[in-house]
Amino acid sequence: MKSLDPRVRRLPPAVELNQTLPKSPLDQFVTFEVFVQPKDGKPFEHEGIVHAPNLEMAYVLAKEAFTRRFDCVSMYVVESGKVNVSPLTEGDTNAYDLIEDVPGQAGEKESYEIYHLAKRGKQHVHAGSVQACLPREAMTIAKQKWYPGKGVCNIWAIRTADIRFTSPEEKDLWLTLPDKKFRDAAEYKGGEKLKSFLEAKGQQNLNHH
Amino acid sequence: MDNRPLKELLYKIADDQLILGHRNSEWTGMGPLLEEDIAFSSMAQDKVGQSLAMYTLLQSLGEREPDLVAFTRNANQFHNCVLVELPNSEYDFSLVRHFFFDTAEAIRFELLSDSSFEPLAQVARKIRGELRYHTLHANTWMKQLGSATQESMSRLQASLNLAMPFALGIFEDSPLEEELIASAVFAGEQELKNRWIKKVEEIIGQTNLSLPDVKAIEPILGGRIGKHTEHLQPLLDEMSEVFRIDPAADW
Repeated sequence: MKSLDPRVRRLPPAVELNQTLPKSPLDQFVTFEVFVQPKDGKPFEHEGIVHAPNLEMAYVLAKEAFTRRFDCVSMYVVESGKVNVSPLTEGDTNAYDLIEDVPGQAGEKESYEIYHLAKRGKQHVHAGSVQACLPREAMTIAKQKWYPGKGVCNIWAIRTADIRFTSPEEKDLWLTLPDKKFRDAAEYKGGEKLKSFLEAKGQQNLNHH
Repeated sequence: MDNRPLKELLYKIADDQLILGHRNSEWTGMGPLLEEDIAFSSMAQDKVGQSLAMYTLLQSLGEREPDLVAFTRNANQFHNCVLVELPNSEYDFSLVRHFFFDTAEAIRFELLSDSSFEPLAQVARKIRGELRYHTLHANTWMKQLGSATQESMSRLQASLNLAMPFALGIFEDSPLEEELIASAVFAGEQELKNRWIKKVEEIIGQTNLSLPDVKAIEPILGGRIGKHTEHLQPLLDEMSEVFRIDPAADW
């Protein structure tokens, strides 16, 4: 391309009509779940999903996809396949009622993070950690701890060792976030600008007549 | 005190950030995947924001206001290194440039966080988290693509070789620098370069890539004294388009 104009350079190359290409074998990534802590002392909440080739890349990509606006003091990611999910319930049915109790297992216990979904359409919120040998055992122990409580429609159990956490020295990743008001659409006060523009225009028209 | 050495330092830092910020923003909407598009665009925005902080420091030293400095100079009045003005090319080149530049930038501001010019030290401490993310992002991609497929490795290797002489131009010497070192404003480009080489070697050592021998390479210099490629002026023309139509425009 001869032009030095960056806009011309940015255009994708022209595709020929009726061209078909074989599907590339490496065009899909697995997904990772992203959890965000909005303020110190507040629980982590499930925020969304990123596609990535591995856990570390997922952390890097999730940071801007989910914490480039508003409040954040910490974030972590885990591969979607490592999230153990309870049945999802309707209405007043507590998901814990559908958990089949697993007897305490012999062996070395590991830490699991338990998440509760209070209501459909909301996000899963961190309830706490339990020690267990198996994910199902972790849910049973969680039931002993939080049942019946306020009632939940879904429970997640995630092995703590599978999580890519934010290290203490990485907490400064969000240091300048509160200053980035330019990422908040409301900060541009578009409505006010439009109003004063229209008023000025109306005044002009009045003067013309 | 003669402000010229300090102003020179601030101008080259600010111009690097502004030009690379603008260049990287050209990927917005065209990144290789949605999440990466967002991340790269956010970092481009960070860079422009950092340049504003530098131009604001310059204003406090008697220079013109940031918008005028950013939008009304011609290419030969810019002090950025040539590396940052080169066209984006393919994504591998943009990533390698990002890796080379931000490795230097993070070390530069780490050094500056102890600067005897306190307002600069304050900015350096404030943006350390942004730079931590920029280097985490760059390092993670280099490690990922630098050990993934034959294509990703050969692309990155070609871009490493291509970008290296330009990257060495980041550390172009200045006759005014002695004074900054003596007054503990900044440890100097040579110190920065030595640390940069070590860090770059450490990351590339974790991949299947190899680093060109920096001692055998002639750095591409001139950017710091306003000698640029033909690529800078079209970038400036596009960047200042709105400002030239309406200098009072507000959005």
